[in-house]
Amino acid sequence: MEFKLEAHRIVSISLGKIYNSRVQRGGIKLHKNLLVSLVLRSARQVYLSDPCPSLYLAGPAGSRGAAGVGGGPAGGPAPGSSPLKKPRRNSEEQPGGAAAAEEEMETGNVANLISIFGSSFSGLLRKSPGGGREEAEGEESGPEAAEPGQICCDKPVLRDINPWSTAIVAF
Amino acid sequence: MGEDTDTRKINHSFLRDHSYVTEADIISTVEFNHTGELLATGDKGGRVVIFQREPESKNAPHSQGEYDVYSTFQSHEPEFDYLKSLEIEEKINKIKWLPQQNAAHSLLSTNDKTIKLWKITERDKRPEGYNLKDEEGKLKDLSTVTSLQVPVLKPMDLMVEVSPRRVFANGHTYHINSISVNSDCETYMSADDLRINLWHLAITDRSFNIVDIKPANMEDLTEVITASEFHPHHCNLFVYSSSKGSLRLCDMRAAALCDKHSKLFEEPEDPSNRSFFSEIISSVSDVKFSHSGRYMLTRDYLTVKVWDLNMEARPIETYQVHDYLRSKLCSLYENDCIFDKFECAWNGSDSVIMTGAYNNFFRMFDRNTKRDVTLEASRESSKPRAVLKPRRVCVGGKRRRDDISVDSLDFTKKILHTAWHPAENIIAIAATNNLYIFQDKVNSEMH
Repeated sequence: MEFKLEAHRIVSISLGKIYNSRVQRGGIKLHKNLLVSLVLRSARQVYLSDPCPSLYLAGPAGSRGAAGVGGGPAGGPAPGSSPLKKPRRNSEEQPGGAAAAEEEMETGNVANLISIFGSSFSGLLRKSPGGGREEAEGEESGPEAAEPGQICCDKPVLRDINPWSTAIVAF
Repeated sequence: MGEDTDTRKINHSFLRDHSYVTEADIISTVEFNHTGELLATGDKGGRVVIFQREPESKNAPHSQGEYDVYSTFQSHEPEFDYLKSLEIEEKINKIKWLPQQNAAHSLLSTNDKTIKLWKITERDKRPEGYNLKDEEGKLKDLSTVTSLQVPVLKPMDLMVEVSPRRVFANGHTYHINSISVNSDCETYMSADDLRINLWHLAITDRSFNIVDIKPANMEDLTEVITASEFHPHHCNLFVYSSSKGSLRLCDMRAAALCDKHSKLFEEPEDPSNRSFFSEIISSVSDVKFSHSGRYMLTRDYLTVKVWDLNMEARPIETYQVHDYLRSKLCSLYENDCIFDKFECAWNGSDSVIMTGAYNNFFRMFDRNTKRDVTLEASRESSKPRAVLKPRRVCVGGKRRRDDISVDSLDFTKKILHTAWHPAENIIAIAATNNLYIFQDKVNSEMH
């Protein structure tokens, strides 16, 4: 259970870092964001492979997403829009909203957030280097093979929402 | 431009302690030139300060070979990329000196996007006695000119002039992390996260892309380039390090695009050390060829490693810089310290390596005796001409009197940038906004 809590905490911290990197001076640092995404992936694997019951229930497909990342204001996002883009718009409209958005990220539907980011990392998982690293995570290779994003949310819907890849490509 | 008594002083005397640090004054790079006579520093505000070593004089034995400010200039200004709505920081990421070919000195300085070539010249004479112009430069009344006089060069106070000779812009989409001048003295390379470009020093409107690791689909990105350097003697060889901890040696004779490495230096990961943060701490933050060209030195978060160019399987030497941080990686991830990029340096004879750490500590490892020492760069512990006292970090167990415990280390005081004089035992240490220069008077010759 502690692994799950620790992983959850690391996921929250990582998401906060990715969010902050969008607003920091000098633009997105690709190297740092890549490292954070690797940590996010590892934490997600631990979180999802831990046999303890989930801390949060995965909500129905329609209600997740923006509520977790973008924060309350400005209504619902346009379908298919990137949740990561929302914080930037929000921070322009309401500087105070940024803090609220961060808070919501930490306490919101983490499992769904994990899935959202998880689908974008499918490339990372499939193209793992041939040598030691992935194989070393012995017990985690099971869920890894089974596209962990599927456990929580609808796979086809997730494919449309690739906040991380959108962020990278935009950069 | 000229000289400027800067807010930043060399720690020769005990200075008033400033309780705050202006972010623009934070030193971001330190580099000796090829003779060691000049030392250049760059800061976050885009300024470059060059120090010059005073010649040793018998009249003033106390100022033997000390460094004083020689020139200060603004190298880069903040810019705005309107297309991407991004601000481009003016922070100087790297400075590299060109080998001196005439009386002038030249250096390359770079921020995230643009590299500039600066020429530094001295003027210590000026012409006087013009035939047609008076002292202030105004034309004389021609009727008063009755004889011919030829201007004579008269000595004047030394003036150091710096001018930008070339601006190498628009070569990089991503952030430039390193530049390296080739031993051919004609070309240099610049590396960003995904690409390395080769430039000719005289040509600014084009560059050749020699390494490109950008995947077709950015979702598939797994590693980035973190540092690169040309071989000191072989102008066709260069090395680049990656965020995965590997080094790739490339030969420009093999192909125009050096995506295929000639040699891949990689150490298999120790599975017992696996954690959430294994990938971050294995990312190489700096790579330096030895002066001999036979070895490479790499720095990752917890260690420095020496690699032999002839052995790709693993480094020949590994030194622990601050292994006591291994159990604290989660906290260091939270406060972003785990992303700190420490540099490393060889001494002139390649027998000692040096790198920085936290709490204003820096470490030196003697490759021959296998002894190491931890020293501190701070005003409190280094009065002028005092001998630096070795420090120790205690990790539980017996604690000696002057030991620092791991929990009381100050992680805001980090020494990321260090440089070693090419020939003598003189080191330059950048501690936030202060520059420390330490000289080893007792053992001035290299071992």
